[in-house]
Amino acid sequence: MKCEMCHKAEAETVVHKTIAGEIRELFVCQECARMESRRDAPHPPPPHSGGADGVSPVPLMEMILDAAFEIVGKSISLKEPACPVCGILREEYRKRSRLGCPACYEAFAKELESAIFDLHRARQHTGKTPEKAKSAWQRQQLLNALDDAVKGQRYEEAITLRDQLGKLDGGESAKGGQEP
Amino acid sequence: MTSEVDASARRTRNVPAGDIAMSCRVRLARNLADERFPDWATECDRKRVFAKVRAALEAEKTGVTLEPVTSFDAQHLEMLREAHLISKDLLERAAGGGIAIAYLEKSPVCIMVNEEDHLRIQGFSDGLDMQTAWQRADKLDTLLERNLNYAWSPRLGYLTACPSNVGTGLRACAMVHLLGLRLLGEIEAVVRGLERMRLLVRGIGGEGSEAAGQIYQISNMDTLGVSEESTVQRVARISGEVVRQEYNARVRLIQESPLVLMDCLARSLSVLQNARLLSTVEALEFLSAMRLGASLGLFTRLKVLDVDKLILLMQPGHMQKGMKTSLMSEERDEVRAGFLSRKLANVKLKC
Repeated sequence: MKCEMCHKAEAETVVHKTIAGEIRELFVCQECARMESRRDAPHPPPPHSGGADGVSPVPLMEMILDAAFEIVGKSISLKEPACPVCGILREEYRKRSRLGCPACYEAFAKELESAIFDLHRARQHTGKTPEKAKSAWQRQQLLNALDDAVKGQRYEEAITLRDQLGKLDGGESAKGGQEP
Repeated sequence: MTSEVDASARRTRNVPAGDIAMSCRVRLARNLADERFPDWATECDRKRVFAKVRAALEAEKTGVTLEPVTSFDAQHLEMLREAHLISKDLLERAAGGGIAIAYLEKSPVCIMVNEEDHLRIQGFSDGLDMQTAWQRADKLDTLLERNLNYAWSPRLGYLTACPSNVGTGLRACAMVHLLGLRLLGEIEAVVRGLERMRLLVRGIGGEGSEAAGQIYQISNMDTLGVSEESTVQRVARISGEVVRQEYNARVRLIQESPLVLMDCLARSLSVLQNARLLSTVEALEFLSAMRLGASLGLFTRLKVLDVDKLILLMQPGHMQKGMKTSLMSEERDEVRAGFLSRKLANVKLKC
């Protein structure tokens, strides 16, 4: 289908535009999408329907990231941020649409947060956890809960949590003994 | 003609789902913590990642051997790509890349190293048995994780080079043949419907390709905020619905437009039996029609599996196999035309 803005090129993505006070969804070509993202701040996406038949097509990743980085970049700092681990600059990442290393997710967290939400309509992983990372994460969760229980003077709860930590550490020690 | 069309209509009620749903694949994207993603890595970085993955495979005694991409000749790589075991992206990033292919229970599991991510673990299965494809990939993933430190965060899940894969890193993909919907002019509406359900629809060449031969790949878009199981179930369920729509389209074609259908089949058979030059794209379009006709039982001595084999063997890399010298494009077109003509010489349209 043709772009609903220029009526010339083929529509490849979707933008949300306020027309007569109403947010409308328009199927547009890449060029019109870029012009829109530069002209306006991006509109908040429609509420996530949550179901399998949600009617919320996702804009191209490059367009979302461009918009997210442009807006956040203008608001937070004039100095070009870089990842402290791999050293790539925000501009370099935007050109290739690929991050430099896993630490970039932390380094560019502000910019990526809205971009990731626009892409996936979600903020929290709910899938598989690698076993090694799972133990470390469980341990941290227990430590945080224990700290909280102690501060709140809920000592019985704290004892239970301490015992759980002990079991977790004991299980890890046993596994550690078996590893080559 | 009427009796054959009637017979075909009766047979269509029993068309196996595999005639429409050709195969499925589940891919898991993984990266190593403390290593640059491949596109920003140096050659030394990529070699180190390759060595770590190879060591992990050996440590688990998987029986899977990782070989560098550079150890395969160009023609072999092309054949692997044509069989959808590796991607074009891997070939374009050859330096430091690796391939490991194993056969588990007669179906392949394939690992690509240093493609867009450090690891792409792929499980395959027939038809829409996506659960099996996922279990194959997942099993290998769990084994590898014992010896590798994956880049992972509690909030974002598996960290990937491109944020579009972050979370589960899982892409479940069904390959379906939708010529019936195409002939009835309904394919665009189906594709738009799938896209509105947040599914990606691509031709068999992968991202950005057109649907040559009306063979489409349907895959999930979302990888964050969803579990692997629900994703696999969802793609399988929706693809199953598309298969049902294609099946109904075929029934309607036979009942409402038998002449359109028979004309399409007759032309395809005629060209394939008599052409002197055939490009890959042309041949695929005609073989697509032959596949539909075989599924409906309208050709003698031709089954869907036969056509699937021809679709693979007529691709450029497979055509080149056994040739002493490298063929130019027009030479390949001539060889392809001759090959298909011989293979289909005894096939006839039943009415």
